[in-house]
Amino acid sequence: MNEKGKDVLLSIGASLVCIVIGLVVGLLILCCINGENAVDGFSRILQGGFYLKPKGIGSEITQAAPLIMTGLSVAFAFKTGLFNIGAAGQYTVGIFGALYSAIILGLPWYLCLLVAMICGAVWGAVPGIFKAYFNVNEVITSIMFNWIGLYLVNELLYTGFGGAMYDQKTTRTYKLSAKAPQALIPDAGLNSIFKTSSTTIAIFIAIIIAIIMYIILNKTMFGYELKACGFNKDAAKYAGINEKRNIILSMTIAGALAGIGAGLYFLSGASEWNPQVATALPAIGFNGIPVALLAMSNPIGVVFAAIFVAHISVGGAYLPTKYFQPEIADLIVAVIIYLCAFVMLFKGVVINLLKKKHADKEGK
Amino acid sequence: MVLLIKYTLLYAVVLLLVALGGMFSERSGVINIALEGIMTIGGLAGVFVLALLGGKLPTPVLVALSIVTSIVTGMIYSLLLAFSAITLKADQTIGGTALNMLATAIAIVSVKAFNNSSAAGNGAASAKLTYDNSPFIYKIGPVTINIFFILAIIILVCSSIFLFRTKWGLRLRACGEHPQAADSVGINVYRWRYAGVVISGALGGLGGLAYIVPSVSTWNFEVGVAGAGFLALAVMIFGQWKPYRIAGAAVFFAVFKSLANIADSTALANLGWSKNIYSMMPFIASMIILAFTSKNSRAPKAEGIPYDKGAR
Amino acid sequence: MANDYIIEMLNITKEFPGIKANDNVTLQLRRGEIHALLGENGAGKSTLMSILFGLYQPTSGMIKMNGQEVHINNPNDANDLNIGMVHQHFKLVECFSVLDNIVLGVEPTKGLFLEKKGARERVMALSDKYGLKVDPDALISDITVGMQQRTEILKMLYRDNDVLIFDEPTAVLTPQEIEELMKIMKNLAKEGKSILFITHKLNEIMEVADRCTILRKGKYIGTVDIKDTTKEELSRMMVGRDVSFSVDKKPAQPGETVLKVEHMTVPSKVHSNNAVKDISFNVRRGEIVCIAGIDGNGQSEFVQALTGLEKMSSGKLIFEGKDITNATIREKSKAGMSHIPEDRHKHGLVLDYTLEQNMVLQRYWEPEFQKAGFIKNKAVRAYSDRLIEQYDVRSGQGSSTVVRSMSGGNQQKAIIAREIDKDPELLVAVQPTRGLDVGAIEYIHKQLVAQRDSGKAVLLVSLELDEVMDVSDRILVMYEGELVGQLDPKQITVEELGLYMAGAKRDEVPAEV
Repeated sequence: MNEKGKDVLLSIGASLVCIVIGLVVGLLILCCINGENAVDGFSRILQGGFYLKPKGIGSEITQAAPLIMTGLSVAFAFKTGLFNIGAAGQYTVGIFGALYSAIILGLPWYLCLLVAMICGAVWGAVPGIFKAYFNVNEVITSIMFNWIGLYLVNELLYTGFGGAMYDQKTTRTYKLSAKAPQALIPDAGLNSIFKTSSTTIAIFIAIIIAIIMYIILNKTMFGYELKACGFNKDAAKYAGINEKRNIILSMTIAGALAGIGAGLYFLSGASEWNPQVATALPAIGFNGIPVALLAMSNPIGVVFAAIFVAHISVGGAYLPTKYFQPEIADLIVAVIIYLCAFVMLFKGVVINLLKKKHADKEGK
Repeated sequence: MVLLIKYTLLYAVVLLLVALGGMFSERSGVINIALEGIMTIGGLAGVFVLALLGGKLPTPVLVALSIVTSIVTGMIYSLLLAFSAITLKADQTIGGTALNMLATAIAIVSVKAFNNSSAAGNGAASAKLTYDNSPFIYKIGPVTINIFFILAIIILVCSSIFLFRTKWGLRLRACGEHPQAADSVGINVYRWRYAGVVISGALGGLGGLAYIVPSVSTWNFEVGVAGAGFLALAVMIFGQWKPYRIAGAAVFFAVFKSLANIADSTALANLGWSKNIYSMMPFIASMIILAFTSKNSRAPKAEGIPYDKGAR
Repeated sequence: MANDYIIEMLNITKEFPGIKANDNVTLQLRRGEIHALLGENGAGKSTLMSILFGLYQPTSGMIKMNGQEVHINNPNDANDLNIGMVHQHFKLVECFSVLDNIVLGVEPTKGLFLEKKGARERVMALSDKYGLKVDPDALISDITVGMQQRTEILKMLYRDNDVLIFDEPTAVLTPQEIEELMKIMKNLAKEGKSILFITHKLNEIMEVADRCTILRKGKYIGTVDIKDTTKEELSRMMVGRDVSFSVDKKPAQPGETVLKVEHMTVPSKVHSNNAVKDISFNVRRGEIVCIAGIDGNGQSEFVQALTGLEKMSSGKLIFEGKDITNATIREKSKAGMSHIPEDRHKHGLVLDYTLEQNMVLQRYWEPEFQKAGFIKNKAVRAYSDRLIEQYDVRSGQGSSTVVRSMSGGNQQKAIIAREIDKDPELLVAVQPTRGLDVGAIEYIHKQLVAQRDSGKAVLLVSLELDEVMDVSDRILVMYEGELVGQLDPKQITVEELGLYMAGAKRDEVPAEV
């Protein structure tokens, strides 16, 4: 097997180690909260959407689509050496873009998706500009813009445009199926297969975008330049690559990806925004981080990692609320990212061991 | 106006405590983006003490116990960051982000589990805790002062003395500026970085309690501490990693944050701006300030870089 | 006295994975002597000293102090045994004062607080006694390299160290500062301190050392008394053969001007003065022009402005008759300028890219390697394979080797292959042989001369006097950002060159030859 193939296997192995440890911690927590029902609860998390076939599988697919996008968003920035902790804010602003163009402008779904993408892109570009021209760490800027985006979107969706997007009855934004059916992403019969109402072709769109990102990063000049900036920005500059332009472009694309994610989710009719109580950023945005880490920033890996995270989140929702809290799934995910922070270390150790063996052999 | 001062003090104290915490961590060389999570966990622990033991203990003991609990919990939680960032040399930002997410999840799960068991398991438990915050608050004339205000002043003075007047401060700073130099004169860089992070854990935990308790008597842990930890990071940067400048920055940011709370009940209501706009303000202000101050930043030189004894 | 050795390192062997850095090395230091440790880059000098200072543990062998075996597990143990070290890269905290740096780790306290008054008096007393002039309250970032080094020496004296290790102390100093340091070292030895002096400069050894131990490729070669030896003998022991101190080359045949620099001024990043001050000169086809000077006299800033990495504040660059003053890095590269950068890890290579990806770093955008934005992997591989073959770049897996895993010499060869194969009109080579072994240095010098002989212009920036004298056809000396002399290497001695480099002598430099 060639070097690259080995490396891929190694990465998958290291990610699986993180997942297994994370799940074990989850089981321990379940045991602490309610020992009697822990095994039942744990099996529900493991089964994920399969616990309640076919509906659960449908909702897992619905969840996975935006997660793939936010995961791609974080992964793409990682490749350029940037940590896009702002995917959550870009996603939030993308929600506004999608709902505004759907309800107020009455655009068809693909244009709504485009508007969501542009909104996310703008929100990603700003930290990029701050990084390139003021040398402010993109993590700090992204965090600030997460909160600015959240409050801004709350304001716009609640009172903006004469409150036209806010449904007083449900205290949420209007359901698209009632107000803007033209903006719903087609389901191509998926809803009837899974007996759900929001399983659409969004998942296919996400997968196609993941493949495009893979090609951009690995086969094109643009990807070559971006990765060069990520690995060594001084060398990139030496090679005549415009580093500032690449930082901004990379953050803009990352933001666009997160914005599309918001579009895919909300234009599938999977959720409505509640601007009155939304005082925390949407979890799908933040969960792009574990997805990207688990996938080692590989766009194809992101698809699988996102499906996994969606799987246990849906599984968490099936926990019997009498004994357990659905947020236990979040806890497991958080433990997994913590472990992912040093997954490179696990990997490094294994690689060094392999190399040593190799060198010994050559020595003889 | 009195209201403005009241809220400003309230937030300034929190931002000061937590930003000082961040300062200790960064001065030792570790970026502590987990402050948000540390605040949540510290606050959670302190509030649990109040909710469980309120009325069962003499008031001063209760106050002290809740404060100590939040500090100790913050310290323990920050060890998770120290372990990954210092011992395992992992990426400090990723580790910190994980701890932030973990903190909210832990808070929600544990509060819901607690409410679930006390409400005889009716299922739909909320993530809210209710407690009595009156023992923390003293009235001096028209202004109410909470106990954290006094603590913060003491900690501010001590921090400055510790950092610039003691040999421990000198060593801590050396670890954040030039760990190889510190190591070459026999200073244990790993140990001092642990110390820096754990101090930030203590102040972060205390800050979490100071954020939650004095202002309201019910807290919904689903929001964690709503970005206060991140604002404290901005305060620290604006304060250029120096205690008294951080104090000034904390007051400045607190004014903005207070406006959101008092907007409805004062003349500002005439402007017709909503709460959301005021909530955005401190974040926008910090962005503008960061853009202008970043060029001559005095950040510790070695912050964010894991120290590796082997590499030199 | 039963034993006049203060330190004995006996039969020290240190293995790293895949390499024996020290192989049965013995070094015995007498009380009150200056003992030089001589060897080329990579001979194992630093490893040996790191073992003595407790940074590494030997694989086998023994260290004795005053005849007693000791175990030095970390720098603290070395401190306790009164062993001190001035590292090649100073271990000073830039934003601390001189005094704070000296007391760091052994801070005097009164109660809970720092008490610096006594410390200041002691430092000043030491400073007077040994002639180590420092300003105790100045910040390290504000003082000269020479004063920084004196601070490091005071750090050792403040700790009452008896064994003082100097690791390549003269590399960063001007000749005057070097002379002063030599005096200080003799002074210290006279006061009973024992000094280990790591260097590869023979003149300095001849001047100050009493004895010298020579290492080659990790092995112990011998210890000699300086008064019984010659430079030539030391040099032979160091490199293992008679070195021809010259590069074979024909006389230069300069042609038309390729590069004209007119009144270039470049601001400094570290201080408010200009780093490069109004310099003008030209470079012609078929000659190697060398910019000589001591590190930090504006050479780096000059090259960065020339190649486009930084902006100049005034002046003009004419390249093959075209004004390229405001051209971007890419435009300059396209116009025919190649650049072998000073720091190959910082600028020259993307260490996590494969060798083939690095080979096209300056050319990936050319139609040969891309079509409609897609990289042509086959073309890249073929090109890289050819360069590897032609320039003898060795690596584990050929074109698909990750560059980080390659040796320094081969990394540098890869850069040189890439830059020369671009067929540049002007090759800018900055310290191209830094940190390489003799074989690689020879190879690189040959490549530079070959470029010249094929009618291209070469601009070499070097800190190594031997390199300057041997390789160049014309020398321009840079001192404090100005050109202070234009010299012919065939008509000048190294000593004279040194005077120019130290600013002791200067001529008008004609803008054109």
